[in-house]
Amino acid sequence: MKNLTQACLGAIVCLTVSTGLAQAPATVEVQPAELELKVGESAQLSAVVKDEDGNVIPGAQVLFFGSRLNLQVTPGGFVTAIRPGKHRVIALHPDTPIEGDPDYYTRSFEAGIRGRLEIEVPEPPLASIEIQGVPETVYTGTTSAVRVTGIDESGAERADLVPMLSVSDADVVQTDGFGTITGLAPGAASVTATVDDISATVAFAVAENPIRTLAISASQREARTGDFLHSAAIAPDAGGNIVEGVPISYSLINQPDLGHAEARGGGASAMILDDGRFVAEQQGVYTVLAMSGNAMARDSVRIEKRDVAREFEYLGHARVPGHLTSDLWIWEGQDGRDYAVIGSWGGPGTAYFYDVTDPENMQLVDTVTVDARTVNDVKISEDGRIGILSREGASNRRNGIVILDVSNPRDVKILSTYDDQMTGGVHNVFVYENHVYAVNNGRRFDVINIEDPTKPYRVSRFETDSPGRAVHDVWVKDGIAYQAGRTDGIVMVDVGGAGDVVGGSPEKPVEMGRADQITRWNHAVWPFKSESAGKFYVFAGDETFYDNPRVPDRDEYVFDKLPQRAGGWVHVIEFDDPKNPKEVASYKVGDYGVHNYWIDWDDEVMYTAYYQGGLRALDVSGELLGDLYAQGREIGRFFSDDPDAVVPNAPMAWGPQPHKGTIFFTDHHSGLWAVRLKEKEEDEEDAEAADR
Amino acid sequence: MRIARTFLAAAGLAATFASAADRNYYVYVAAESDDTVHLVRYGPDGGHLERTISVGAFATETEGPHGIRVSPDGRHWYVSIAHGMPYGSVFKYDTADNISIGDVQVGLFPATMDISNSTGLMFVANFNLHGDMVPSSISVIDTVSMMEVAQIPQGVMPHGSRASPDGRFHYSVGMMDDTLYEIDVMKLTVSRKLRLTASDDAIAHDKHDGHAMGTASPTWVQPHPTKPFVYVALQGADQVAEVSLEDWTITRRFHTQDGPYNLGITPDGRLLLATCKPHGSTAIWNLESGTELASVPASRRITHGVTISPDSRYAFVSVEGVADDPGTVDVIDLQTYKTVASIDVGKQASGIDFWKVE
Repeated sequence: MKNLTQACLGAIVCLTVSTGLAQAPATVEVQPAELELKVGESAQLSAVVKDEDGNVIPGAQVLFFGSRLNLQVTPGGFVTAIRPGKHRVIALHPDTPIEGDPDYYTRSFEAGIRGRLEIEVPEPPLASIEIQGVPETVYTGTTSAVRVTGIDESGAERADLVPMLSVSDADVVQTDGFGTITGLAPGAASVTATVDDISATVAFAVAENPIRTLAISASQREARTGDFLHSAAIAPDAGGNIVEGVPISYSLINQPDLGHAEARGGGASAMILDDGRFVAEQQGVYTVLAMSGNAMARDSVRIEKRDVAREFEYLGHARVPGHLTSDLWIWEGQDGRDYAVIGSWGGPGTAYFYDVTDPENMQLVDTVTVDARTVNDVKISEDGRIGILSREGASNRRNGIVILDVSNPRDVKILSTYDDQMTGGVHNVFVYENHVYAVNNGRRFDVINIEDPTKPYRVSRFETDSPGRAVHDVWVKDGIAYQAGRTDGIVMVDVGGAGDVVGGSPEKPVEMGRADQITRWNHAVWPFKSESAGKFYVFAGDETFYDNPRVPDRDEYVFDKLPQRAGGWVHVIEFDDPKNPKEVASYKVGDYGVHNYWIDWDDEVMYTAYYQGGLRALDVSGELLGDLYAQGREIGRFFSDDPDAVVPNAPMAWGPQPHKGTIFFTDHHSGLWAVRLKEKEEDEEDAEAADR
Repeated sequence: MRIARTFLAAAGLAATFASAADRNYYVYVAAESDDTVHLVRYGPDGGHLERTISVGAFATETEGPHGIRVSPDGRHWYVSIAHGMPYGSVFKYDTADNISIGDVQVGLFPATMDISNSTGLMFVANFNLHGDMVPSSISVIDTVSMMEVAQIPQGVMPHGSRASPDGRFHYSVGMMDDTLYEIDVMKLTVSRKLRLTASDDAIAHDKHDGHAMGTASPTWVQPHPTKPFVYVALQGADQVAEVSLEDWTITRRFHTQDGPYNLGITPDGRLLLATCKPHGSTAIWNLESGTELASVPASRRITHGVTISPDSRYAFVSVEGVADDPGTVDVIDLQTYKTVASIDVGKQASGIDFWKVE
């Protein structure tokens, strides 16, 4: 009884309209019955509880609540609008405890008696709009794109504006109404944008286009699909001087070679950027058109098939019976032989060490079992002496990392563990110059000094201040750490490689820049300095899984041996200027889902574990633009089919690593594999042999 | 006595060791390191694994289902998914077909949870196992619409979410701030706090100098079904403390084996059960006399949760195991205090809740 007494106190609406004898509560009515609130506005709600006859029950308790992200609702019904939209407030009269024999749940549970109110919170009215992108001078015969942005009364930027454009003098300038203006004749002009009775106007001048002729030549007359061509036009005036600052627009006439199957019904066969840079996906002849006013120039290039395809040759396979496997690392041991370590997933917490000197006969030489269910990541130090295992699912839930002595891979020893403030689990690690970079709890990365691997200690932690930040991976190259995560995308962090200007170190990581990943699926990262392109790229990989309704009663995919369906692709980001990264290309293979990858900087080949798409090799030489898969850059593919896998004949390629000409990779379902990319001549010799 | 066990996997074979039940008892149990939830039945033909349901969204991430709760009417079950990106979530399933019908994001590492049977509101302890010793929260979810309606500030690493029998109050403990919290369900605010200590002397000392002792490490709070008491597992002190809701003080202490972790009280109010996690046993106490009746060894290492049948006849204990061990549900006969069945489930069996008898 004391609890009930306490519950009646405070901010509860206790209405006391006398109606005679108490009746069983039947309905809750909320007042007002309709309500519209502006963002930030508040109102006090009330409610009455009635019996079946419509009599108000005096003193009946009501609790109000609503989605905390959209409305602020006190238990007493004082509501404040937070976000635009239509939001529900519930007024709840508490039910009584379940009575009778609870074995059979004969009494229906209604979660109390509820009244509801839909509150309309309209988008705040626009306060102002602004037209952007209008040049001071628009030249006759040229078109400029303009953009309209707006701020609403709450101060929020509105990205959903559909403006109406109009121009001051239709003889001087015209607009398509959607977002472009085109100069027609010299004179003063203006463009006005209107949204919800809010207008903005920008004045400009239309000048005679000084360009009389255009000249264009492609950087190459012949190239391959996927090659990046520059086709910038120049505009000499009547005196032969080059005119600057006058827009030149580009387009293409595509003539793909229909003698090739992929050219038929293949959609767009090439793309061209606003500045004339161009890449083709199919072989054929392409004519680039440059236009400004009445001047036009054209030039043609012949595009041949890239022709980089090669075959993978199977070398060997080492299955881990009964267990899913995870990441791998390959290295040359102190004894000059080659070794591999792979982790395991959802198992006994074991890491497996193999002698892979002969990839056709990989031998298990040692195992290390730690207190974990998943050893997701494994890394080996540059000198091949120290190994790092990440831990998840430890029986004491302390997780963290385990530091190994792998100087003799046939007799691996545990040197120490480190789990201070890493209890939520370490999913990925990297080891670089006596420091471990450990993704901690999916929120940040910790930097742990292992100069004395028996006494690790934390020297710093890097964590952004983004709300809801989520980090998945970290990779360190040349003193720069690359963090991958869903919230912030790719974050470039100096840990000692960027010099004094940035001033980062393992003890003081300093952010250099970041690139948003609009899919919000960012999972893996790999930096790539392309010698052939003279550019620095960062490859950012997705990871996601499609909803896949299952056949009833077959809903456990591992036990029932059903594969998962992953999605996502690789985003290529030009990162020469860390403060201004640009996503320029993508590598997307149908409905397969990308996982981990490794770029060979020397060969300029990316090896990708594409989950159900198997192992893939991609030519990443030259400047990168557009759809790399469609350009025929894919070199080869290998499907890790295994009838005795945990999930049979369902490739789930996890991570690759090239080493001394062999491509090793792990498959989540079937363990460690070794393959080799055959030389083109070998393919041809094999084909000739087959013909004979 | 360690009991021999049959590995059941997905085959649903029975493992029965003593006299069988005359009815079928069903419980749901979560397996934290396998991302699965299991429906287990104990009946006249012994113990059976009836269903295995995959939970979570990422096949290659361990998302950690930790807490599980069946709605008071038995029509739905709810599971907390601890690891998110970064926030965890609670999923709602239909018990008729075990299909997910809703979910909502909550705080960091949601763990235990309970539903107020007077309001239908669920209270989820955001345990925040992310290593930072910072205050966390209790998320309040409307289980009908699956929307989060509030986050009520709590202490460090809140755990042991349980509602009072009348559904008007909610109790939880701060594992790392040694505090019992009471929430007024009708106000959605903390109404009372109680410092939990390892000894009564420590209480005096605490009052004297104002410093917490920090040794109790409470992990669970269990309201008595009929009397104004709650029972708190003090894992760090190897005790269960009885707290009077009228006086808001510790009135009795039960000294247990190592690490009492989760608690259960039989619906008839007669017995108190405590899983002693590191000891690998379940302690059974007579609440009236305050005497320990039995310490029942688990079939494998690390006991976790306990739920009791509505007829106070059987206790179902989730046992985590270690490394590659499967998790297990041990069924304890509360008349003989013996384990009568052990049913293997997924790895690191954790949250467990009773569904129905038929």
